[in-house]
Amino acid sequence: MDLRWRRSALRLTVIVSALLAPLAMASEAYRPVPMPPEVRVAATELEGPVFTDSKGHTLYQWPLLQMRNGVTGDHLGTSECNEARTDVSAGLMSPYPGGLRLPDLSEHPSCVKMWPPFIAGAAAKPVGKWTVITRKDGSRQWAYDDLPLYTFYLDKHAGDVLGARSDRPTLDAPAVRRPAGPPPDVPPGFAVKTMSTGRLLVTEQGMSVYYSDSDAHGKSSCDATCAETWIPLLAPNLGRARGEFTLIERSPGVNQWAFRGRPLYRYALDGGSHRLKGSDTSGWHNVYTQLAPRPPAEFTVQDTTAGQVLADSSGKTIYSYFCGDDGVDQLECDHPGETDAYRIAVCGGGDAARCLKTFPYVIASAKAVPSGRSWSVMLIDPASGRPALAGQPGALRVWAYRDRPVYTYAGDHSPGDVNGDSHGEFRAERNGYKAFWLRDDFFSRDQPGPG
Amino acid sequence: MLALLSAGAHSEESPLRGGTIAYAVTNLRWATYLKPEMRVDCPQGVNDGPREQFKSLYPDDGTVRELADTQLQREVDSWYPTTAPDRFPFREAGGAVAIGMNLDGKVGPNDFTSPEGVPGVDNQLYRALGCINSYRDAHGTNDELNSYEVVKESYNRWLIEITGVENLTNSPHVEVNVYRGLDPLHTDATGKGILPGGTQRIDARWGARFIQHYRGRIVDGVLETEPADLAFPWSVFEVVADEYIHGARFRLKLTPTAAEGLIGGYADIETWYLQLMRSQSTHDQSYGQLSSISLYKALRRLADGYPDPRTGANTAISSALRAQFTQVYILPASKAALPATASLPHYSPYAGPPFPRSASDELQGHEKDPASSSSGNGQVALKP
Repeated sequence: MDLRWRRSALRLTVIVSALLAPLAMASEAYRPVPMPPEVRVAATELEGPVFTDSKGHTLYQWPLLQMRNGVTGDHLGTSECNEARTDVSAGLMSPYPGGLRLPDLSEHPSCVKMWPPFIAGAAAKPVGKWTVITRKDGSRQWAYDDLPLYTFYLDKHAGDVLGARSDRPTLDAPAVRRPAGPPPDVPPGFAVKTMSTGRLLVTEQGMSVYYSDSDAHGKSSCDATCAETWIPLLAPNLGRARGEFTLIERSPGVNQWAFRGRPLYRYALDGGSHRLKGSDTSGWHNVYTQLAPRPPAEFTVQDTTAGQVLADSSGKTIYSYFCGDDGVDQLECDHPGETDAYRIAVCGGGDAARCLKTFPYVIASAKAVPSGRSWSVMLIDPASGRPALAGQPGALRVWAYRDRPVYTYAGDHSPGDVNGDSHGEFRAERNGYKAFWLRDDFFSRDQPGPG
Repeated sequence: MLALLSAGAHSEESPLRGGTIAYAVTNLRWATYLKPEMRVDCPQGVNDGPREQFKSLYPDDGTVRELADTQLQREVDSWYPTTAPDRFPFREAGGAVAIGMNLDGKVGPNDFTSPEGVPGVDNQLYRALGCINSYRDAHGTNDELNSYEVVKESYNRWLIEITGVENLTNSPHVEVNVYRGLDPLHTDATGKGILPGGTQRIDARWGARFIQHYRGRIVDGVLETEPADLAFPWSVFEVVADEYIHGARFRLKLTPTAAEGLIGGYADIETWYLQLMRSQSTHDQSYGQLSSISLYKALRRLADGYPDPRTGANTAISSALRAQFTQVYILPASKAALPATASLPHYSPYAGPPFPRSASDELQGHEKDPASSSSGNGQVALKP
C-alpha cells in the first residue's frame, strides 16, 4: 500500500491507494527469532515491530558512537549506563570544552533513571542472539546482539517508542538510543527503512522499490522499453517465495520479485537512496510495509525548495525540537518534563516569553482528536514549558509528536518557508528545531533513524 | 576541431544551438582571496574565532562554570546577534585592492581598486571577511567547504541559460534564465573533474522559487547583465540554505565549454547570515576562526546598501562572487514543462527572527566577565 499526500487549498486530504492492503493500518511482518520467555514483539506505528519486555515496554540499545571529540555509548557486552548522575559536560561536542555544569542539575536524572536496564532474572539463560551481561553493580542485564538493552522512562504502553528520535541523526547528533527489534520478513536483497511517511521497502543498497498500477496481480506489463526506466527487481535463481514476497516469471528462467502480488521495480532516475521520486510518475508508487499514522486533519502539506513539509492549517511549516545533552551519557533534553534550559536558549535567547513568539506552539483546536498514538494533544504551561494539569489556568492545548510539542516559526512568512529549519546548536542536531519533512529529495531528512 | 568549437560557430557540434547555450555552476567563492603579492596583510593580525573567544571569556582557571552561562550563551549570541559593540576587537581587511564591481557607479572613499586597476570597486563584504582565516587563503576553511558543496550537493545545482545569442563574442540583446537542475554533473573517470556537455532537466517543482530572468548583452566574449535580484541555493552540510543578492549582475567570460567571472551585487545580510548559521555550526566555524557573533556586527557596520525603510539601517552589503560554470544542455522537454512565469512563487529574502537587532536590545544573561575588553582596539572606526 502506498500513501500519497496531496494538498488542496487549506486542508490536508489523504489519497490512499487501497491496492495492496486494507485501509486499516497494516503492520509489518517480521521474522521470528528465538527469544527469552519474558520478551515480546510489539507492532509500533513508526518503527515497525520492536522487542519489548513482558509489560510491553520497548527495548532500546545504545551502540557505541565515535563523536567529534571521543566515543560514548555501550561497548559490546558492557553497559556504560549507570546510577551515577552526570553533572558536567563531557566535551564530546566540539568546540566547547568539557567540565561545564549542566543546567537544572537538581532535575537531571541518572542514566538508569531515564534508561532503566532490562534486568535478567537469576534463572535467565541465553537464547539465540540474547545474552546476559553482568553490570558493574553485579546485576544481570539482557543484551541482544551483544548490546545491552534498556527501556525508556516515558514509554508507558505497548507500542510506545518515545525514546527514538524522529529525525535523521548525523555525525553531530548525540549518541542516541535506538529501538531493537526482529528483522523484517523480507528476502535477501531487501531492507526496510523508517521514513516519516512509513516503513519504506528498499533494496539492500537502499534504493526505493516501486509498483505499477498497470500491472495485474502476479503479472508484469513492463516491457523492454519500460524496463529501461523501471528496472524489474529480479530474483536470483535460488530465490524462493517468502512471506508476502512471491516470484513471477518474466521470461523462462527469469523471475521477478512481487510483494503482495505486485511486481517490484526500482526507478532508474531516483538519483539516491530512499527516494520518493518515482511516485511522481502517474501510476507508479513507492512500496511500504506499513504506513505512518495520518497527521492531524487540520494540517497541510507544503512544497519547499527541498521537498515537502508538514504545515499547520495556514501553511506555516511545523517544526520539532530535538535535544541531547553533552554529558557522557548523552541524555535527552527535549521532552517538556525535562530541563527547558536548552530550548529556551535557542528559541528565546534565554527568555521564555520570547520563545512563545519565536517558535510558538501549534495550538490544537478544541475539537481536535488525534488518531493513533504518534500524534497527541497535550496541555502545556506556556510560562514554564512544562506539562500542565487539566484545568490549569492559562494552559495551552497543543499538538505533539512522540509526546513532544511541535511548533511553527515566526520567521516563516509564506507557505513553504523553512527558515527555522536547522536552527540551533550543531544545525539543530544537538539542541534545536527541524522542519517536519515528509519528503526530502536532497538531504534525506525524511528518514529518521538508522532503519 | 578548434574551428568547430570557436565562439562564433553554429555548427552541429557547437553547444550554441538556436541561439541558446546553458551552463551549470561548478564553483562559487566570495571574492575575498587576493594573490599574496596583491594582499595587504591584516596589520593587526587575523580575527579570533569561537574557540579563542570562548577561552578568553571563560579561561580554564579552575572556576566552576555553568553551561547555560557559557556555551549556551555563546550559542544565543550566535543565533540572535545584535549590533551592540563587540567585546572583541574585529580586524577588517584594509588595503586598496579588492575583486569586485562598481555597483553604484561611483568612486567613493570606501571603494577599492580592482586587481586590473579599475577604481570604484564596491566590496565591503571583503572588508568584513578579509581578516578571517576561513576566507583569507586560497583554501580557507569556510571558503573551501562552501565551494566543495556547490558540486557535491544536488540542491546547489543551479543553471544559467542564455538565449538570443547571435554568437559568443558579441550579442547585443540576450536573456539569461536561472534555474535549478535535477541531474548530476558530467564528470571524468575520477568523478572529481567536471566535464562540459552533460544534460540537465529543470527542477520546476522544488526549484520554482529559483527560476529568475535577466537581460544582458555579450561584448567581446563577456556576458554582462542588468542589475536584478538573484536568489540561489547554497547548501553546505545537507541543510536547506540559500543566498539572496540585491541588484545582482553577472559578468562572465563565455566559451563553448565554460563560463567564468563574477557575480556582483548587494548580499542580503540576514539571508547571508542565516546561510552561514544553518550550514556551519560553531564547530565548523571554529576551524577557520570565524566568529559569527563578531562577523554579524561587522556585516551590519559595513552594510552599504538597501536601507530599511523603517529604520534607515542598511540591510545589504556590497559583494562579489567568483563563479565558474560548465556548459550543459537543458533538455527541451523539461523546459517545455515549465509553469508560466506569472505563476511562479517569489523568493523573499529572510527578514530575520522576530528579535530586535539593535544595540539597545542586546540580550541579557552573560556571565560576568572581568577579562572582557570593549576598547575596540584594532577596530576600524564606524562608518558614518
